[in-house]
Amino acid sequence: MVEYACKKCRYITEEPTICKVCGSREFTKEWHGYVVVIDPEKSEIAKKLGIKYAGKYALIVS
Amino acid sequence: MTKYFVVKTTANQEKIVASLMAAGVKKRRINLYSILSPKEIKGYIIVEAESNEDIVNAIRGVPHIKGLVKGDVSFTEIEHFLKPKKAAEQIREGFKVEIISGPFKGELAVVKRVDESKNEITVELLEAVVPIPVTVKADNVRILEKTGEEEV
Ligand SMILES: [Zn+2]
Repeated sequence: MVEYACKKCRYITEEPTICKVCGSREFTKEWHGYVVVIDPEKSEIAKKLGIKYAGKYALIVS
Repeated sequence: MTKYFVVKTTANQEKIVASLMAAGVKKRRINLYSILSPKEIKGYIIVEAESNEDIVNAIRGVPHIKGLVKGDVSFTEIEHFLKPKKAAEQIREGFKVEIISGPFKGELAVVKRVDESKNEITVELLEAVVPIPVTVKADNVRILEKTGEEEV
C-alpha cells in the first residue's frame, strides 16, 4: 500500500489521480510527517496548516 | 481552547496509531480534533483534544500505545512542527543551507534572495572560488543555520 501526498494541499491518498480536496493532479511519494485532522473547525493545528477538510495530510512534501 | 497531549507509541507505529485513534473517536463522540506525527519525534504522537478525559478515552484499547505523558503541552511547543506549505516560506536571506539534490548536491551555500511565489531561492556556494549566484528550488535545500534571522 503506497500512500501519495498531493503536492499542493498535502492530502494523503492511495489513489493519485485527482486530489479530492483541491483538484490537483500532482502527487508525490516523497513526504514526511503526518497529521490526521478529525475536526477542522475546532482544531488549532488544522487552522495553522490551512486545512479545511478532515483527513490525513503530510506535513512536508517534496 | 484545545489542549495538546503527548502519547507514547511503539516506534514506527505512529501513523497506524493515529489512524486507529481517529477511526475510534468518530464512533464514540470523543472530542479529539487532530493527531500529529512529526518525523522528528519517533515513538510519540501529539494529540489535540478538548480535555484530559477525552484523550484517556481515545487511547483506551488502541494497540501500540505505551502510555500518555502526564500533563499537556502548549501550542508554542508544537508550532515548529507545523511548517509552512512552501519550503521558500521558511527560508530567509542570510540563511546557511545545504543543497540536497540536483547538480550542486552536497554544496553549502548562503541564501541571497528568496522568491516565495516561485518557491525558489538564489544562493551563493560557499566553496566556489568566484561566488556565482545559483537559483534552485527551495525544496532542494536543507536549512543549516538561521543566521541573519531576528529572534521572535
Ligand atoms: Zn490536494
